[in-house]
Amino acid sequence: MGSFFRKWWRLLTAILLLSVAIQFFVRPPLALSRADSVHSAGSVVFRPVYATVDFARRGIHTVWSHYIALVEVSRENDRLRREVAALREKIHENRDTLLENRRLRELLHFSEAAERKTIGARVVGHDVSPWFQAVFIDAGIEAGVEPGMAVVTPAGGIGRIHKTYSGLAEVLLITDGRFAADVIVERSRVRAIAEGMGGNLCRLKYVSPTQDVVAGDRILFSGFDGSMPKGILLGTVVSADRPREGLFQKIKVQTAVNLQAAEEVLVVLSRPSIPFRAGKL
Amino acid sequence: MRQFLVLLAVSYSGAAASVWWLSGFFPWFLLPDFPFLAIVFAGLFMGGPVGFLAAIPPALFRELTVSAPPWTFFLSSMALYFFSREIGLRIFVRAEYYILTIVVGLLLTESLSIVGLMLTAGSRPFSLLWGAEEAVRIAWTGLLAVPLYMDLSGRWQRVKE
Repeated sequence: MGSFFRKWWRLLTAILLLSVAIQFFVRPPLALSRADSVHSAGSVVFRPVYATVDFARRGIHTVWSHYIALVEVSRENDRLRREVAALREKIHENRDTLLENRRLRELLHFSEAAERKTIGARVVGHDVSPWFQAVFIDAGIEAGVEPGMAVVTPAGGIGRIHKTYSGLAEVLLITDGRFAADVIVERSRVRAIAEGMGGNLCRLKYVSPTQDVVAGDRILFSGFDGSMPKGILLGTVVSADRPREGLFQKIKVQTAVNLQAAEEVLVVLSRPSIPFRAGKL
Repeated sequence: MRQFLVLLAVSYSGAAASVWWLSGFFPWFLLPDFPFLAIVFAGLFMGGPVGFLAAIPPALFRELTVSAPPWTFFLSSMALYFFSREIGLRIFVRAEYYILTIVVGLLLTESLSIVGLMLTAGSRPFSLLWGAEEAVRIAWTGLLAVPLYMDLSGRWQRVKE
């Protein structure tokens, strides 16, 4: 017996380590979800890289927008002037609706500040593996960012905070296979679960063939599961197939935000109502 | 000490290059996995405590740059080191195609295990395009391993002599 272990101890150690890793992958312990000193110290090692990426990207963007893209500026100016005039008209039309909306909100004791307290952050890096979809942002524990918090842009949802470090946080994108959230179809109010499927696509699950979902429908986060704020846009349905066999429709949604190109995001600083466990959303 | 520092430099600069590359340059094209190569090299060609210590920083780099659940990539990377060590002790790596087979075999095993785990958990974020990209990454990493390992192992052999 002793000689067996002496001969194969490396292989047995590898199998043991792998078993623990699989266990952590399938059921991540809650205690490990919190930021620990090793991860925090380790994040410092890559912070210069993320900072340089950010610096270089901003530099390229500045050179492009202030010098090279100037050729298009005068044409764009004309177009924008026309757009501003049209929007001014629209603002006048909407002012009454806005005031009414504000009165109704006050009536319902809706505290906008408490529900949507956000901070801005810049995307400074991307996950380097082929299996997961995540980005790193330059706001961390000091800014009050915690695992499970929603990350959005004015154009739509981005994802949820997965891990936090000092000055850095990892955001699991809505297209990651581990992301799931309760959503609603804007037009027909059909509810479904959205799940990431890579690229810039999500799928809608558990939509029966009798329910009304068609290509072009806008999908919003419902907020019922507490994972993402209510009313934030997820994307637009690109295909809805009703299979002859099977209980549910096959629905693909193109995300509203191009996640690979997102540069600035907002972190919604309200704690998720459901306890968050890293790796399991 | 020199071996440890070289592997540290290779894995850190490789991981940093991947972060650079993916963050705005060519987000759809993955670079070879340098920390992976450093861990397998430590297992195949460096024995004892030095090899074990040399495998720890690349394993940590993988843990920090991949958004898997906490500690899973560190533990699986250390398991990879012990697997490579076992292979290094049982098989005499005498030609380039041995290296290619071992590295590609280990990369495939790792990738398929993660895909299997994610499928078991109910998520299916993988498509044909993803498969093609992953095949390119594995081929790319495997092909890079051959000259890198031959050069490093040959160089250290000469230093020893």
